[in-house]
Amino acid sequence: MSDQAQLPMDEWEHAQTMALSCSEFKQDVEEEWLAEETVSCYNCRYRRFVGSGIRCMKSLFNF
Amino acid sequence: MKFYLCIDDTDNLDSIGTGTIAEQIQEKIIHQGYGPCSLVTRHQLFIHEDIPYTSHNSSMCFCGEAPDDALAAIISLAAEHLDTVAAVGSDPGLCVLAYDENCHYDELMEFGIDAKKTILTKNDAMICAQNHQLHLSEHGGTGQGIIGALAGVGLRLFGYDGEIKGALKNAEINQTYPVSELKKLPEVQQVLDLAAKKPLTDATLVNMCNRTKTVLYQNQYVLFVRKDENDQYTTLPKSEIRKLGDHFYV
Repeated sequence: MSDQAQLPMDEWEHAQTMALSCSEFKQDVEEEWLAEETVSCYNCRYRRFVGSGIRCMKSLFNF
Repeated sequence: MKFYLCIDDTDNLDSIGTGTIAEQIQEKIIHQGYGPCSLVTRHQLFIHEDIPYTSHNSSMCFCGEAPDDALAAIISLAAEHLDTVAAVGSDPGLCVLAYDENCHYDELMEFGIDAKKTILTKNDAMICAQNHQLHLSEHGGTGQGIIGALAGVGLRLFGYDGEIKGALKNAEINQTYPVSELKKLPEVQQVLDLAAKKPLTDATLVNMCNRTKTVLYQNQYVLFVRKDENDQYTTLPKSEIRKLGDHFYV
């Protein structure tokens, strides 16, 4: 997912594809995983849950 | 004495999770000779742009047994641990309740329920804490974590909210287990049909077809299952479990 982009809930395949190609993907702790796919934007530490889905916040951090 | 302990807002993007810190506090309590303690429950709170949270806004709670005179030691131990391990930039809060069966906790439970659907303030939390004579303390940053910590205790008391941390990690996905085997796991006390809310018999087979979690329902650790198109009981994915949590599984 590109910086600051928002992803609706339940887009599992899309979230996996994006996370697999994202060099900054960082897995969150297990109790916060949501997707079945281990590598998924929904399971990334840099996602923030918002009302209708998740938002990528990685631009706020230096890599 | 039965006690409830909840922490919130202890992490940042590089730190260990709040659930792990809750388990560390639990280990220290047991090491002091107190306990037993329950499993840790994760309570989802309101998701809103105006609420500062790391990424998911949840708090972590457990309960335990200890001598009546151990309350101060438990609070001190938990507070010291939070002060030591809470992440830079976090806003930790700690709530500890010594449960009194003669007290009514309706307002506290209502606070927890409200924290799942509205924005509450530190002042709201402090007023509720004073009314129930429980321990509520800030441990750095803005101290905003006291809101979630208090809410977590209210929701755990409510008994119909919270995913069990670490639940079912030893169950193999795509394996079929009889209910009797599942109930041997500490995180599974009951297996319920989601639609009927009725317990399945011990001989019933359940297909663990995804990463599911048990949840607190009627103060028990419950695995919800449903029948698939082949009339076979299967587990629910975590995403559905979390949606159910918006309505307290009822």
